Amino acid sequence: MDNPKKDQSLFLKLIPYLDRYGILILLLLMILALHIMQPDVFLSWRNVTNVFKQISWQSMLALGVFMVIVTAGIDLSVGSIMMLSLMVLAIVAKAGMPWYIVVLVPMLAGLLCGMFNGLGITLLRMPHPFIMTLGTLYIFRGAGNLISGGVPISGFTDEVRYLGHGRIDLTWLGLEESQYLPVSLVLIAIVYFIFWVFMNHTRIGKWIYAIGGNPNAARASGINVNKILVIVYSLCGLLSGIGALILAGRADSGYPNAGLNAELDAIAACIIGGASFFGGRGTVLGVFAGVMIMGILRNGLNLMDVSAFWQQVLIGAIIIIAVYIDVLRKDFGTRK
Amino acid sequence: MNIIKKIGVTITSLFLVLSITTSSISAEKKILFSIKGPGSGNPFWASVEKGAKEEAKKLGVKLIMIAPPQEGDVQAQVNQLEDQIAKGVDAIALAPSDPNALAPVVDDAIKSGIPVVFVDTAGSNKGVTFIGTNNKNGAELAAKYICDNTPKGSDVAILTGIESQSTALLRRDGAIKGFKGCGLNLVATQTAEWDTAKARSVTESILVKNPNIKAVFGSNDNMALGAIQAIKDAGMKNVVVVGFDATPDAAKSILAGDMTATIAQFSYNMGAYGVKYALDLANGKKIAANIDTGTQLVTKKNAKDFK
Repeated sequence: MDNPKKDQSLFLKLIPYLDRYGILILLLLMILALHIMQPDVFLSWRNVTNVFKQISWQSMLALGVFMVIVTAGIDLSVGSIMMLSLMVLAIVAKAGMPWYIVVLVPMLAGLLCGMFNGLGITLLRMPHPFIMTLGTLYIFRGAGNLISGGVPISGFTDEVRYLGHGRIDLTWLGLEESQYLPVSLVLIAIVYFIFWVFMNHTRIGKWIYAIGGNPNAARASGINVNKILVIVYSLCGLLSGIGALILAGRADSGYPNAGLNAELDAIAACIIGGASFFGGRGTVLGVFAGVMIMGILRNGLNLMDVSAFWQQVLIGAIIIIAVYIDVLRKDFGTRK
Repeated sequence: MNIIKKIGVTITSLFLVLSITTSSISAEKKILFSIKGPGSGNPFWASVEKGAKEEAKKLGVKLIMIAPPQEGDVQAQVNQLEDQIAKGVDAIALAPSDPNALAPVVDDAIKSGIPVVFVDTAGSNKGVTFIGTNNKNGAELAAKYICDNTPKGSDVAILTGIESQSTALLRRDGAIKGFKGCGLNLVATQTAEWDTAKARSVTESILVKNPNIKAVFGSNDNMALGAIQAIKDAGMKNVVVVGFDATPDAAKSILAGDMTATIAQFSYNMGAYGVKYALDLANGKKIAANIDTGTQLVTKKNAKDFK
């Protein structure tokens, strides 16, 4: 692949690009299709910002789960980490702490929860991360209910709600007041950019891919696999904590059902985005496309008044189709 | 060339007809009705849906019914509402899964000039009309019925719903008030989250601790039915079980002699009133802050009507 020969067909030359950008093409096709079906609404300013607001916290969970999946692991507890972080945030906010503490606390709580997962997996030598994080899925949600008494705690200050609810005014560009930029959209862009750099241009990022690709080889080449795993699960927790902060702004409430089943959505977005369960493969851009595909699919079906049951069926179908396309592509890729 | 002309005329006239019909559609008001869960999953919502649809037909409004895939999926309900608001509706009738979590969307809708009424569960937004059952009075009615049908000072228990919802809290408080008022001994107040299976497990553990229980109040019929399972399983007899909602299943259970009574909410009315008053708001009329859809005791005598 590195030395393209002259007799290679155009198709073979395209493969590396399809590999990298195929999912984006699928995303663009979906946007086009939905635009044709809902010409007045789908690409309206309000609807587009709605989509970004709606995917904001899921995109954080998906990014965290993505890194874990690259190490050939899984994190089932992200929804519960987010709920626990949200409840901690709500309690700290109700106690009247200043906003900069209220904002930091959920991220710290998320980080610690993730670290707990990572340490459990490595120190307790769990046979698979599935087991540790399945356990903490229950533990963290239970803990969140314990500290809050299982009742919602509502009402946060504007500073706390900024990331999830804030608006960046664009009237200075000559736009109307209703055409604002949600802060959560900017946050998604910043966080994804940081993690793109982290995964692609730092040593630790490369090690994360190496661990997923071949853990024994990684170990043999001197990488401290356990340490990297703890870092990955901690970062996943941190991202779930950021998700909690966004959700706090969006809902203005810490509520017991927050993030229920969110881990499944996060995993689905990674899979649609081309991450491999066997580890070592997947891109940050792909995850973003995966999150977007799930987000605009739900949004588009809502706009067309399609029942929520059909949405479940269609999202399931998209997961299978996306992975099947991946399988076909690999077939073509290995055929010389 | 004649043919081409003819085709041209046909197409233009088609367009004309189309534009006339579309403009007549846009003249009728669009009411968005958002319920907590799908009608297929809970007869209560099915009945709300029926009421809303029939009223919409009567009033000649375009009704959009939406529900999250599962009861309790707060974020899905928020997203559905946002999407529909973006699309544009004239008024919203909303049964909020979680009043606090839905408050920002409701504020947003009102700010964009779309009036909102709450149906079934009151929201936390100020100045929004609530259309629904007075749940506290209903639960008190149930507790009084239990008082009249058990010996004085008996042990009784309450199964509560998801305690983040005002409906659950009001029913709990109404039942507690009723029991205290007539000197019954309340030994347990536990949540079973509106769920039959959970209610069975919770009741099983309550019965182990309190073998002398004479009555259980389930804050909805699903939980009362779960309690009955546990009571039967424990081989206990003459335990009064009263539910809430008067679902067809509960009515059958009452007729079979298992459940003792239930409280009927007029869920059909909620659907119908929701559409009616949302339309009033869309037309710029003023409506009352609280609109009661009523409650009624259902026993063996009248359970037939609710089957």
